[in-house]
Amino acid sequence: MIQVFDLTKIYSTGAQPVIALKDVNFEVKAGEFVAVMGPSGSGKSTMMNLLGCLDTPTSGSYKLDGIDISTLDETGMARVRNQKIGFVFQNFNLLPRMTALRNVELPMLYAGIDVRERMRRATSALERVGLADRINHRPNQISGGQVQRVAIARALVNEPAVILADEPTGNLDTRSGEEIMAIFQELNRGGSTIVLVTHERDIALHASRIIHFRDGRLVDDEKVETSLDAVEQKKIMGESNPRQGGK
Amino acid sequence: MSLLESIRVALEGIRANKLRSFLTTLGIIIGIAAVIAVVAIGQGGRAILMAEMEKLGTNIFTIYVDWRSGAQPTGKMLELSDVQVLKDKVPGITHISANTSTMEDVRGSKNKKYSRVSGVSSDYEYIRKMTIKTGHFFSREDDSLGRRVAVLDEALADEIFGRSKPVGNIIRIGSTPFIVVGVVAKGDSILGLSEEPRVFIPSRSWQNMFGTYVNSLEGSALSREKVQETMEQAVKVLERRHRSSAQYVSYSMEQEMQSANQVTGIMTLIIGAIAGISLLVGGIGVMNIMLVSVTERTREIGIRIALGASRKDILTQFLIESVVLCLIGGIIGMLLGVGGAFLIAKLANWPPLVSWWTMLIAFTFSATIGIIFGMLPANKAAKMNPIEALRRDT
Ligand SMILES: Nc1ncnc2c1ncn2[C@@H]1O[C@H](COP(=O)(O)OP(=O)(O)OP(=O)(O)O)[C@@H](O)[C@H]1O
Ligand SMILES: [Mg+2]
Repeated sequence: MIQVFDLTKIYSTGAQPVIALKDVNFEVKAGEFVAVMGPSGSGKSTMMNLLGCLDTPTSGSYKLDGIDISTLDETGMARVRNQKIGFVFQNFNLLPRMTALRNVELPMLYAGIDVRERMRRATSALERVGLADRINHRPNQISGGQVQRVAIARALVNEPAVILADEPTGNLDTRSGEEIMAIFQELNRGGSTIVLVTHERDIALHASRIIHFRDGRLVDDEKVETSLDAVEQKKIMGESNPRQGGK
Repeated sequence: MSLLESIRVALEGIRANKLRSFLTTLGIIIGIAAVIAVVAIGQGGRAILMAEMEKLGTNIFTIYVDWRSGAQPTGKMLELSDVQVLKDKVPGITHISANTSTMEDVRGSKNKKYSRVSGVSSDYEYIRKMTIKTGHFFSREDDSLGRRVAVLDEALADEIFGRSKPVGNIIRIGSTPFIVVGVVAKGDSILGLSEEPRVFIPSRSWQNMFGTYVNSLEGSALSREKVQETMEQAVKVLERRHRSSAQYVSYSMEQEMQSANQVTGIMTLIIGAIAGISLLVGGIGVMNIMLVSVTERTREIGIRIALGASRKDILTQFLIESVVLCLIGGIIGMLLGVGGAFLIAKLANWPPLVSWWTMLIAFTFSATIGIIFGMLPANKAAKMNPIEALRRDT
C-alpha cells in the first residue's frame, strides 16, 4: 500500500539546512496498523506530511496504492489527498463554524459527490464513530474526544487507501484516547490501513507494528505480538478515576 | 467542486461574518447607489429639459446677423421686406416674423412699467404658440399699415391696468398711444418667455418709432425634421438678396436641443465618473478586508487543502466570495440608488429615469470589481503552504 524508498527531507529555510529525514525505507501493506514512535524532532510529522502529500521530499520516492507520487502535479496531489488519504490531526482541525455533518461532508465536496449521497455517507460515517446523535452539533458543542471522532469520520468518509493520524490522542485524556483507539482498531479490523504517530507506548501497542525514528532515520521496526485491545483496556479502567494523559 | 457548491461555500463564509461582510461591501453599496442615483436624476433632468423645449416647438428657428464676425456687414442685412420674400421663396417655412425689441416705459390706465417692447410680424403668434387670453393678436394688415395696436402679456396687463379691461384701451409706449387689441397668456414652459413684462407691436409700427432695423428673423418649419434644411435655405436666400455671405447666424430649436442634450449628457458623465471613483475605492476596501479574511482563515485553508481542495478550488472559493460580496453590495446599492433617485425626483418634481442598462452596468461593474479586487486575496489564499497553514492557531 505504502512504499517508501530512500526518502530524504531537508529543510533549507533556516540559517542552516535541517535534515529532518534521511534515507528512510519502509513498506506498509494493505490492512496493516502501524504506529510510528520516536523522540520529539525525530521527523515523525515530517514523514506524515510526505505520506499525506502535503509536502514533497527532497529526494527518494514514494508510492501510494501503486501511484508514484513524485510524478504528480499539484492537481494530482490534491486528488490523491482527497481520494487516497484520510487525515486525523492532534488538534482535530475541524472547521469551527460548521456542524459535524458539514465537516464530514467536506472531503466529498471536493470529490464532486452530489448532495444526497454526501448526506447519506456523512451520516453513516458519523454512525460508525458513534456520533449519530451529534450530527448537527458544532465542534464547540461537543467534547474533545467527540471532536476527534468527527475528524475520524471525516477521514474515512471518502474510503481512503490509508488513514494517517499524527498524535490523534495527544490532546485527549486516557479514556477518550482509548475510545479513539477502539475506533481505529475497529476500522483496521474492517480492512483499513492505518499509520499513527504517538509518543505513548501504551497507545502504540494497539497497533500491529511499531516503527521507530531517531534523528530522521528509521531505527527500529518492531512487530507487536499481541496488540492491546482498546475495548478491554477501557474495561480495565472501569469506573475508576481515569489517569490524566496527553498534553 | 461545482460552481453551485462554490457559491454555497462562499455564502457560508459571508454569513459566518455578517457585520464584517456588510462593512466590506459598504463601499460598493454607496458607490453603486451613487452611480445609479446620479445617472437616473441626470436622465430625468435631461428628459424634463427636452420636454420643455418641445413645448416651445421643435420646428422653430432664428436668424440674425453676427456683428462680431469681423468682416464689416454689407449694408442692411435684414429688412422687413425679407419676411415676405422668405415666405414666397422658401416653401418649407410655415410662419416667419421679424423681431426687434427695445426697453421703454409702458403706461396703462393705472400704472406704468418699464417693459420690453418687441416689434414682430403677425405670424409671431403662431411661431411662439401663444395663447390669446382676451382679444386677438394683431393682423398682417395691422403690420403692413403700421397701425398703433399692441398685445400685452398677462402680467403686464394686470400691472398697468389693474382691474379694468385692457382690450380696447389705450397704452402709451413712451409718449405714443397704442390701442390694446389682445392679451396673451403666460406660456406654460419654464423655458418660455422671460419674466420681464412684454408688449408686442407690429414691426412696422416699431420701426416708425425706433428706427428702421431688424434684429432677427424667427420662423417655423413644416416639421422638426425639416427645420435644419428650411433654415439653411432661408439663409441662402438672404445671402443672395443682400449679397453677403457667412454673416448670418442661425439657430434652430433642434440644434439647441442637441447641444442641451450634450451638455446634460456630459454633466451626467462627469458626476457619474466621480461616483464611479467611489466604486473603485469601494473595490479597494473589499480587497483589503478580503486580504485580512484570508489571513484570518489560514487554518481553514490548510484544512481544506489537506482534505483534497486543489489550489484552483481555493482560488475559486475566495474569488466567488469576493464576487458574491460585491454583487450583494451591488444589489443593495441598486435598491438604494433607485429609491434615492425616486425620492429626489419626487422632491425636485421631475421624472426619475432608471433605465435597465444602468442596472445592467451596475451589476456587471460590481461583479467585475469583485473579480479584480478579489484576485489578489484569492491568489494569496491559493498559494498558501498547507503545513504552515495547519500549524497556525487561527
Ligand atoms: N518547516 C520547517 N522548517 C525547518 N525545519 C523544520 C520544519 N519543520 C520541521 N523542521 C525540523 O525538522 C525536524 C523534524 O521535525 P518533525 O516535526 O518532523 O518532528 P516530530 O518527530 O514530529 O516531533 P514531535 O514529536 O515534537 O512532533 C525538527 O528538527 C524540526 O525542527
Ligand atoms: Mg510531530
